[in-house]
Amino acid sequence: MQPGALKGERDVREAYAAHSGELFGFALRSLGDAGLAEEAVQETFVRAWRAGKRFDPQIGSLRTWLFAILRNVVIDLGRARAARPAVAAPGVEPAVEPFEQALLSWQVEEAMRRIGEDHRRVLVETHYRGRPYAEVAEELGVPEGTVKSRVYYGLRALRVVLEEMGYED
Amino acid sequence: MRTDGPDRCREWRHLLGAYALGDLDAGERAGLEAHLESCPECRAEAESLGAVAQLLPLADPDRFGRPAPQPSALLGERIAAAIGNEGRARRRRRHRRFGLTLTGAAVAAAAALAIFVLPGDGGADPAQHVEFAALPPGIHIGATLEPHAYGTEIRVYVRGIRSGTLCRVSLVGPRGARVPAGTFRYRWGEDSEAVLSSALDLSRTRAIDIRTGNRTFVAPVKGTGGPNQEETT
Repeated sequence: MQPGALKGERDVREAYAAHSGELFGFALRSLGDAGLAEEAVQETFVRAWRAGKRFDPQIGSLRTWLFAILRNVVIDLGRARAARPAVAAPGVEPAVEPFEQALLSWQVEEAMRRIGEDHRRVLVETHYRGRPYAEVAEELGVPEGTVKSRVYYGLRALRVVLEEMGYED
Repeated sequence: MRTDGPDRCREWRHLLGAYALGDLDAGERAGLEAHLESCPECRAEAESLGAVAQLLPLADPDRFGRPAPQPSALLGERIAAAIGNEGRARRRRRHRRFGLTLTGAAVAAAAALAIFVLPGDGGADPAQHVEFAALPPGIHIGATLEPHAYGTEIRVYVRGIRSGTLCRVSLVGPRGARVPAGTFRYRWGEDSEAVLSSALDLSRTRAIDIRTGNRTFVAPVKGTGGPNQEETT
């Protein structure tokens, strides 16, 4: 059996444990409805299991393959929903950008969650909130040079996480 | 002022993040850019971080400031059930097709075989997943045991052993008696799931063992409880 292939129920369980959180997070981001997102994840794993023998780890990782399946599932669910009368979904707003753009946005947000708190905080304060480095340094009680170092190491950490998630620039 | 060399790199590198985000003042930026002119390593790092910095506007801090959403705890079980049901239906159809192709003298043998391979009462008793612990690195073995009227269906998953290895599977009864469940040969690159069966009821099964070459792996089985759990001989 090819390593990483998804042929038996046991393989599906292992793949679910490794990737369901990410798949669900992105499905929720795309569809804006937790119930639909779970439906999408379930359909993704069922389709992956049905097509397990066609998976070739030499072409791409299992994660990449699952996301490719999820892409089709989300498109199918989106079409089905478009054919039905619109129902306001409370909570998360569905993504309106194209799939690849939505996937990249979600990857960056997920990567920001995964980097260290110190690094995330300086990136949020300086970049997203546009606050001066000196002000942030004073608030954190560290020299301004330390804030700059944390920005540097924060971007490096972000790069590593994105690479782990399959992003290639 | 010299702007190259490892020491200079250390001095300038911590500014590369703020530089990538366009946050350096004119003096720092001019000094760093002079260093980048003479240092290909720092220049490559600056370009790489610049690509990462360009992605930041794609993220919404309100979204990543919240914990990552998680699916309900039952989703995994729902998926396992959906796949299990479809797998059982698929096997049932395969067995039926197999039965229909047999003719003449083979019919009698097929009737006997059908008793052996057809699923029981539709799965009123739950299948049991068995984990083999303390396996050597790289080897994965698991099994799912499902009770049937004829005994127990055993689905064995193997990964990581030498291709071509003969695997002998047995169930172990209450008094340690081994009841053979069959053999299969592990082939790398093919489906590692073997479907076997044993006449021993799952309720009376205490363990499953798999012999691969000169090694034997044993995993305990809980049985399914009930009045038949203890051997009465």
